[in-house]
Amino acid sequence: MGWEYSDKTKQLFMDAVHGKPGTHLGEVKDPDGLGEHGSIVCGDAMRFTFRVEKHETDPLQDRIVEAKYLTFGCTSAIASSEALCAIIEEGKYTPIEALKITNGDIVKYLDGLPTQKIHCSVMGAEALQAAVWNWAQKRGVDLDRLGVAISHEKEDEGRIVCKCFNVTEPYLRRKIKELELKTIPEVTAAIKAGGACMTCHHAPGGLQDILDEEWGRREPGEPARAEAAVESTGGPKLSPYQFAKKVEKVVDEYVRPMLQRDGGDVEIVDIKDNLVYCQLVGACHGCVGAQMTLKLMIEKTLKEQVDERIRVIAL
Amino acid sequence: MTTIYADNNATTAVAPEVVEAMMPYLTGVYFNPSSMYEPAKKAAAAIRQARGKVAGLLGVADPGQVVFTSCATEANSAAILGTLKANPKRRHVITTGVEHPSVYELCKDLARDGLDVTFLPVDTQGRLSLRDFVRALRPDTAVVSIMHANNETGAIFPIEQLARLTKETDPAIVFHTDATQSAGKLPLDLDRTLRHVDLLSFSGHKLHAPKGVGALFIRKGTRCRPFLLGGHQENGRRAGRENGPYIAGFGRACELAQEHLGEEDTRVRAMRDRLEKELVSRIPHMQVNGGGAQRLPNTTNVSCHYIEGEGILFELDSQGICASSGSACTSGSLEPSHVLQALRVPFTAVHGSVRFSLSCYNTDEEVDRIIAVFPEIVRNLRKVSPYWDSENDCPRPDAPKGLQPA
Repeated sequence: MGWEYSDKTKQLFMDAVHGKPGTHLGEVKDPDGLGEHGSIVCGDAMRFTFRVEKHETDPLQDRIVEAKYLTFGCTSAIASSEALCAIIEEGKYTPIEALKITNGDIVKYLDGLPTQKIHCSVMGAEALQAAVWNWAQKRGVDLDRLGVAISHEKEDEGRIVCKCFNVTEPYLRRKIKELELKTIPEVTAAIKAGGACMTCHHAPGGLQDILDEEWGRREPGEPARAEAAVESTGGPKLSPYQFAKKVEKVVDEYVRPMLQRDGGDVEIVDIKDNLVYCQLVGACHGCVGAQMTLKLMIEKTLKEQVDERIRVIAL
Repeated sequence: MTTIYADNNATTAVAPEVVEAMMPYLTGVYFNPSSMYEPAKKAAAAIRQARGKVAGLLGVADPGQVVFTSCATEANSAAILGTLKANPKRRHVITTGVEHPSVYELCKDLARDGLDVTFLPVDTQGRLSLRDFVRALRPDTAVVSIMHANNETGAIFPIEQLARLTKETDPAIVFHTDATQSAGKLPLDLDRTLRHVDLLSFSGHKLHAPKGVGALFIRKGTRCRPFLLGGHQENGRRAGRENGPYIAGFGRACELAQEHLGEEDTRVRAMRDRLEKELVSRIPHMQVNGGGAQRLPNTTNVSCHYIEGEGILFELDSQGICASSGSACTSGSLEPSHVLQALRVPFTAVHGSVRFSLSCYNTDEEVDRIIAVFPEIVRNLRKVSPYWDSENDCPRPDAPKGLQPA
């Protein structure tokens, strides 16, 4: 698709490219903070520099007064860079305050970005983090002690798997091993990869493939089923036959009498591991309220009397 | 003689509004929608707008979950094969014995390839048993593919319940439904009532768009591999240059279909009900196939015992009436419809089945005309039948009765 950019994005891009005065294109000389993010291999790279007004005694009170960028990338990458610098200068932030600027703020400033272009705004935020880390080094600020966690490490270069967040395959593989990430949600939570458009989840060579290659292919839902294997709490493990008999017995003794008082009844259609499938019959059939009651009441009774892992599914 | 088109489950007339929506993209706006220059943006915008309209018909807030395909058959193949490819350790598929050939034949082929396929049976009215369904679910079930409404009988399956039972049993099982016959005829709400459905396919030409365009809804996060690999079109989920003009027409058709949903349920349903009732009262030994099931409002499938469907169609055609016998897609094979066989429609009747499927473009006058000519056609054909006693207008005493298919 040809991208649909906001007027603001197009304007910022045009201003920068046509060298309109007042843009932030360029590099601060002898910068107080310098951060880079991305690489030409990835198709997007940014060099971000800022100058601070230094506080005489407390570096934490330094204020960013000038911010500039040099960006290799598409329309939205350049507009995002411009936006980042503008936001920082307008806010007159300290470097630590500036860290609160997220890629979401950049997207907002641009009046939105196409989903597949969100990574451009992420690049701005990452470059900013790197520059603040650089500033902290130069000014002797211990970010760890302040409880400020920022990632300043350069991402490994290589094929990009998550295009939204510019995450490369070598980096992914390294993080998957280091942080023992086993599922896509875990990967997303830890390193953002796969968190926006989700296209890379099950694409060939995508997140699932890499996870499978790193950890061996795993049956989806397998652990859940394994955990669900029926086992009596306390007593000896029941065979499927014994388990089914026990479920039937409890339903006969505790559930049926209540339903039959109202002219209804329940049929156990099937039992698979810890799943008990029931269908209401008679007067209860077709009553939505009864459906809910059935599920809650039978499930509670079976959990107490047979196994706490039982789940009731109403047909 | 004017044509009375009563075969809308086979295909539909292209709506004039749809043609109008397509024209700019068949003429001036020929650009590649992926290109950067300004004129190409119109092509991209057309696809984006169409995607929004398709999403609207499906009740989906996020149009990014709609992938355009060339037809429903492609969407069905993409859904089932893509799911199996993403879950290679799961070797079990659940479907029904009455699916459209695009699912039925594919599943038979999967069985030949060594997969375990459960073809759920239906009762004589074409209904599924939830009990059978629940019992068929297994720990190694990869995908459930069950149509929303049957193309031959119009019987509606309880997709909402089936999808819920599937996901409650095991969220890793992918639930697919072929909604080719229901889209535009029944309300679809994938964000709410059908929220357990992972994949849904349908095509344009059943709702007054041209042939050659369809869609597959892929719920965000569903494990399904792309079927066509190549370019990054459709977010990498279906490579191949988008069919811009047809997609634009498809979008417009979905918009119109949504506007006509109410009419389907009222005026079209009333026409169908009247047609069916009148035919039943005028023709002895005629049965309504699947009449006991919940059905699409536009479809009636009737069987006239002891005569052959092709002759009926031929006669209808000579009167300018278009209908079909069995699924139009299976015509050409001499086997009687697998759907009607699954309903255990007796052999004496299965060959004499005729399907009328209406649309909002049909009129009461057209229905009157069918009611006027159809009984006469049946009477005439029965005169030729060796099993019919025309004098007394009943089967001969020695005619085979209620023979069940083997």
